[in-house]
Amino acid sequence: MVVDTDPEAPAPEPAVPAPPGTLEIRDLSKAFPNVQALDSVSLDVRGGEILAFMGENGAGKSTLLKILNGDYQPDQGTLTLDGSPLRFSSPRDARDAGVRVIYQEPEIIPGVDVAENIYAGELPRRGPFIDRAQLDRLVAADLHRYGFEQVLPLNLLGDQLSAAQRQLVEIARALKSKVRVLALDEPTSSLTDEEVDRLFKLVRRLRDDGVAIVYVSHRINEILRLADRVAVLRDGRLVTVRAAADLTEGEIVRLMVGRSLTDVFDRRRPAPGDIVLQTKGLTSDWHRSVDITVRAGEVVGFAGLVGAGRTELAKVIFGELPRTGGTIEVAGRAVDIRKPRDAIALGVGYAPEDRKREGIILIRSVLENASMVILRQLTRFRFVRRGLERRVIADYATRLRVRTPSLDQEIGKLSGGNQQKVVLARWLAAKPRVLMLDEPTRGIDVGAKAEIYRLIDELANEGLGIVLISSELPEILGLCDRIYVMQAGRITGELTGAEATEEKVLAFAMAEHLSTLVANSGESTTEVAP
Amino acid sequence: MSEPQLLAAPAAGPKRPGFGRRFLATVGVDNLSLIVALAALGCFIAFVTPLLGIDGGENFLSWQNLMNSLAQSVVIVGLLAVGETVVIVGGMLDISVGSIASLASVVSAIVVTQGVMGMFPGSVVLGLLGGIAAGLFAGTVNGLIVTVLNVNPIIATLGTLAAFDGLAFLIAPEGKPVGIVTQPDFTWLATGRFLQGLPLPALGGRDWPGIPVMFAVFLLVALVMHIVMRYTDFGRSVYAIGGNATAARLAGINVRRVRIAMYLFSGGIAGIAGALLTAQTTSGNPINGRGLELQAITAVFLGGAATAGGRGTIVGTVLAVLLVGVLNNGMNLLGVGQFYQRIALGLLLVFAVALSQWRQARSERARSRTAALV
Repeated sequence: MVVDTDPEAPAPEPAVPAPPGTLEIRDLSKAFPNVQALDSVSLDVRGGEILAFMGENGAGKSTLLKILNGDYQPDQGTLTLDGSPLRFSSPRDARDAGVRVIYQEPEIIPGVDVAENIYAGELPRRGPFIDRAQLDRLVAADLHRYGFEQVLPLNLLGDQLSAAQRQLVEIARALKSKVRVLALDEPTSSLTDEEVDRLFKLVRRLRDDGVAIVYVSHRINEILRLADRVAVLRDGRLVTVRAAADLTEGEIVRLMVGRSLTDVFDRRRPAPGDIVLQTKGLTSDWHRSVDITVRAGEVVGFAGLVGAGRTELAKVIFGELPRTGGTIEVAGRAVDIRKPRDAIALGVGYAPEDRKREGIILIRSVLENASMVILRQLTRFRFVRRGLERRVIADYATRLRVRTPSLDQEIGKLSGGNQQKVVLARWLAAKPRVLMLDEPTRGIDVGAKAEIYRLIDELANEGLGIVLISSELPEILGLCDRIYVMQAGRITGELTGAEATEEKVLAFAMAEHLSTLVANSGESTTEVAP
Repeated sequence: MSEPQLLAAPAAGPKRPGFGRRFLATVGVDNLSLIVALAALGCFIAFVTPLLGIDGGENFLSWQNLMNSLAQSVVIVGLLAVGETVVIVGGMLDISVGSIASLASVVSAIVVTQGVMGMFPGSVVLGLLGGIAAGLFAGTVNGLIVTVLNVNPIIATLGTLAAFDGLAFLIAPEGKPVGIVTQPDFTWLATGRFLQGLPLPALGGRDWPGIPVMFAVFLLVALVMHIVMRYTDFGRSVYAIGGNATAARLAGINVRRVRIAMYLFSGGIAGIAGALLTAQTTSGNPINGRGLELQAITAVFLGGAATAGGRGTIVGTVLAVLLVGVLNNGMNLLGVGQFYQRIALGLLLVFAVALSQWRQARSERARSRTAALV
């Protein structure tokens, strides 16, 4: 194992005296069977700074967070906060010391309101009863202090909260006691842009209050916006720590993977073929008159903000959500798709966005997950021809470079990228005409991302029509031959891959007020043409 | 980090794994603990209790006890548990199996005594088919309520548990048991023996008592269901739906049809159990199957099925049925009172589910650990 450490990396830590509230990490190591998850990592998280941790899956970020949270104990090395050593044997210890880790999906009690959620476990009491007045005062003061009043209505119940509000509740829980180190794990993965802005404002404010902030995310552009310094981990080792201002996106990627991602976006595709999928005036509960076409050998992107109706459009076409009007044509023939298996029979595939909930069966094997769609074709008298099944799936698994000890491995034990490749293998085995990929690179590491990009490119060259739904604009711009921009259930613009830029896509995606004004004034629903 | 292993295409002419490996693959690693528990419990009853001065245990290993008491006592619960396994693996539950057995018992008794439209009274085959038909009817009702009306399976089958019970009384003439003492052909199902008197050298000159017909039926049904669950696309669909119904639907599986089929298997097999109950008790009694669902469900969870579905095997269930059977048999031999036995059984169900939850939590932990690392 060779980790080429960054030649430009500064000496371990500058000799400037650490500001108060600094978390010193020294020689931190943690091994699991067969893996050195952390390999003598040393660095400081200074009080009053935002330090971002970046790295591929398996680089050691999660292990580091779990050590900070008291879930894991390090094999060796020390944590020191303001000169006093920290030793956690449980998350409770970490909390008592003022170290809080906010995970992606915080525990929220569904049937209980915001105030009680924040003070769960420490509700003010008067005798045997909850002191409601006191609680409301406390919570109101907390929220006021951090400017949450507008965004976190106190009367909402746990299950009515948006993803962002849930994060805020968790943060408020952390802040009600004195927090000195706050770690956030992929906090923005399910937030809208506006919510991200709000969260960033809060994080900056906490930094200005002197809190040491650890920020873990895959989103490079966010990190560059928010972080003061960036620490890059690879294979459990610290590659470098540098000021964010000195880094560019490409450089971070290069540091993370040791190679560059740009060679991926290298399109040279033959002219697209016949139309394989077309909708005419498609309407549903989410859509108004959607017209799209997808040709064989073409990658067509659905861009737009979260909630624009892109996922729903794919699901309506796939028969998972009901269509209320308009027509769908597959390979030039009008078809009536009422359920996913109708779509599959016509050669339309869909790999959903939420892999764990909708894509895979976590507790079953790679083989069973991959052969699901074609299983019926692999049977004789209802008996699965297991030798044939194994050969077919092994072929696709090899082609897609699925990394797994064996085909019988439980898929839940693979990394996100490999799970996604199994989902792709499942669909490729079915030999579809059109494949709709919904956020195919969400939550997977950079290396696997590059492989999936290459694969999309390859498949298009072989004549598959591909619909790519993605919230990552570089992905859309880099891969798509044509882009439909959606907004509030309508196509607001269509761009060719050559003419598309981030600005143009965003202009269509956010044409909200314009289009709703037009629609509401009862005029014809004019397309905002490019 | 070394280059993670790519999946190698299988080498030409793979070596056939050894017998131990194949045996383990068939039985399953999870089931080993059941075999160990079974052996330990058997040894405790047969060898330890006599040393403790408790009478009765020394008879445990006799052929008389093993083939008559034990083998016969596990058949009915065993059949219900095998059918229940299909439903639980599919992520649902059927608590009406006891009532279905009662209903099938009455129907089979009526068919055996009166024939079908007066034809072929006394036919063993028709009696069995009558029970199965009643079970399939009940399974259809359950399946439709759960899929078409979208009622939670626990509530749905709690309702039909009462309904089928009532129906059994309704179709029994005057609500009384239908006696079949005059049908020796049919009671052969319960009293008959296969391979009786086979002179086996291992028995030291004594005659082999034979395998009870009922037990053979149970083993046959279990074998068929093992094959269905493991080797057919239907079985795969059951595991897929139990593991993640949304993902299964999005992969083109006809979730509704498979769910109805799961209840048909559970109902049909409960129907066979009902017919055997008639033969065993020599009457089609509407209370024949009452309360059996508890033992059946206990056995399924003890056998390693996940409460959320997607995991569980017929082999595991059969082993668990034997374990529960040995426990009951041992308590009978040792003279433990009926009420204590019920308490023990109830606690066993709770223990079995706790075990299943613990397994699930453990595998989730393992998953999140590897996911963080890979």
